[in-house]
Amino acid sequence: MRRLLSTQWAPLLAATILAGIVLGFVTRQFGTAFNIYTILQTAAIYAAIGLAQMVVLAVADMSLAVGGIAGLVTITVGGLYDAQHCSVAAAVAAGLGLGLACGLVNGLIIVGMNLSGFIVTLATGTAFTGIAYGITSAIPYSTIPPALVSLGQGRVSFFSFLLLPAIALTIAVGAGFRWLPIGRSLLAVGGNREAALLSGISRARAIVVAHAASGLLAGITAVMYIGVLRSATPATGSDWLIISFAVPIIGGTALVGGEAPAMGCFVAALVLAAINDVLIVLNVNTEAVQMAEGLLIFAAVISGKLGQRIHGPSLMWRKPAARGRVRAS
Amino acid sequence: MPIAGGRFGRLDVVFGGQTSAFGLVLLIGLTWTAFTLAGSGFLSSFNLFSIGQLAARDAVLGMAQAMLVVAARMNLAVGGIGAVCTSLLGFLLVSVAAPLWLAVPLVCAGGVLAALLMGWVELTTGLSSFVVTLAFLSVYAGGALLVTGGRQFQITSQALTVLGSGTLLSPALCPLVAVAIACGMVCWLLYFRSSLGWKMLAVGANERAARVSGINVPWVVLAAYGLSGLLCAIAAIMNASYELNVNAGFGADWLLPSFIAAVLGGVALTGGEVSVAGILLAALFYDSLQSGLTIINVPSYWIELPQGLVLLVAVLLDQLRRRRARSRHRAPAVGAQAAAEPEAAVSP
Repeated sequence: MRRLLSTQWAPLLAATILAGIVLGFVTRQFGTAFNIYTILQTAAIYAAIGLAQMVVLAVADMSLAVGGIAGLVTITVGGLYDAQHCSVAAAVAAGLGLGLACGLVNGLIIVGMNLSGFIVTLATGTAFTGIAYGITSAIPYSTIPPALVSLGQGRVSFFSFLLLPAIALTIAVGAGFRWLPIGRSLLAVGGNREAALLSGISRARAIVVAHAASGLLAGITAVMYIGVLRSATPATGSDWLIISFAVPIIGGTALVGGEAPAMGCFVAALVLAAINDVLIVLNVNTEAVQMAEGLLIFAAVISGKLGQRIHGPSLMWRKPAARGRVRAS
Repeated sequence: MPIAGGRFGRLDVVFGGQTSAFGLVLLIGLTWTAFTLAGSGFLSSFNLFSIGQLAARDAVLGMAQAMLVVAARMNLAVGGIGAVCTSLLGFLLVSVAAPLWLAVPLVCAGGVLAALLMGWVELTTGLSSFVVTLAFLSVYAGGALLVTGGRQFQITSQALTVLGSGTLLSPALCPLVAVAIACGMVCWLLYFRSSLGWKMLAVGANERAARVSGINVPWVVLAAYGLSGLLCAIAAIMNASYELNVNAGFGADWLLPSFIAAVLGGVALTGGEVSVAGILLAALFYDSLQSGLTIINVPSYWIELPQGLVLLVAVLLDQLRRRRARSRHRAPAVGAQAAAEPEAAVSP
């Protein structure tokens, strides 16, 4: 229990639940089962998007292609089911395979050419989106497998069925990083590249695996989202960039480099979904949501910086070690 | 480091970077020839005019991006600052009915301040520019929409209309091209004839070395942020000068062209290297390609794919060129190359 309370996301979750209870009394709309279901539905999607980014952040890289891959997977699943009349299982399997392949392509280009993930995924992400728009002529598929609709829209009171895959993914990713050898090597590479190299862990392999996993997770997210939208549109993922970074950063990823708090991601997704909902219920302009996300990233990162010592250079922090050393000389 | 000043060895010319200017001229020539033969009206003055209009804005965006990329940082918030500046311009010209001579400096000041704030946050928190500018992108873009409430501003300023839609010398040339070239010249003077520019290049090539050699790194970084914001503001004004009916949604699609112009133009992503002529030519190539694809009747929904592919190919070719240059110069150390080396040498 003490370990649970000392995690970075525990105060965040407590504050959100508290604020939720208060809001439940203040505004009638907030506490209804349907509203909580909406929050949980959004949170499930956010969590999955965040996990797709988190696995790449864990190796101190990043992917701007999460949305692009999701768009491509969405229209693949929709197209195979609607236009090619494949079975749901075949369409979903093909979509997930494609997501994995897209991630693999990203990883291989990054490693093969020794480039930064940023610029490669900016380019490939745009290309993936471009392909999705091109082959559909920007027209969404509207015949959606009933199974996916009941997954996306189904609920028991406030419990959205989408939480099931989201929780499963969170546990799977968390367990993978904790117990699987490949997960540990990903964290080792992210935490200290030189040390990982000296202990014989391949950085190239870690980066390729991380991007492939990210592609697969983006694909799964896309499949989850099809039911929510009731439409397979190539526009899926076009506005996921900021949320994909906001969720893992607020959840505490990469602040210490080489850490992948899957549970933190899930909690951050809950918080962001709740804020999103509150701003809408309170009739604040929806643009405020976007602003709030940006400010929350700062709040999370800065509070994280105050709360803990930084161990070394990581993606988020500009070479603090080097800075300190120079100042001392 | 000088424009097109590298070694003109065999294939180097087509591979961007130091010799990017010459390769890009070749590439533009090829594109223009191909589209002139394949479609009708590519070389019409109307089409050339609109290419110039768009390329001028994209070139300035490329320079805005390059300002920070040169200093080994990046500016994901070009579009966010663009949204703020566009809204500010619309508000000043339409709601306040301020004269143009007052509105333009105020908008530029707004852009500089918005960028300086990001720089200040980066320096005080020690966060990477990626996280800072990403967060500010959503703050600025969301904030601009929130404050204006998505309102449309119909700009009627005569001078601005002439700038965006008038003609210069020939009916095929938009006055905005002159603005872009002027910005380019100022940037060239900055990087190759001023100490501030050299300091920016030094900070980008090796921040630690720059610090220990007595460069006031925080001030140089702040200057880079401020100039990037200024160029974003200029791009916003240029954009408004031909769109005229503007809103806070402007800038949402600026990130990609800004990186394409900078990277294709030969600005090293690791910092410390710039080619101003390359940026101008890269923007011209990019918008020629976009326009040409429309001329040969490629449907609009296929337009996004080439954007991604152009960036991907540019990055890959640039990396290939660097690799070859590195292997060729491994034995005898070459002074000009040495600045760009340390960053690359770290990776195993």
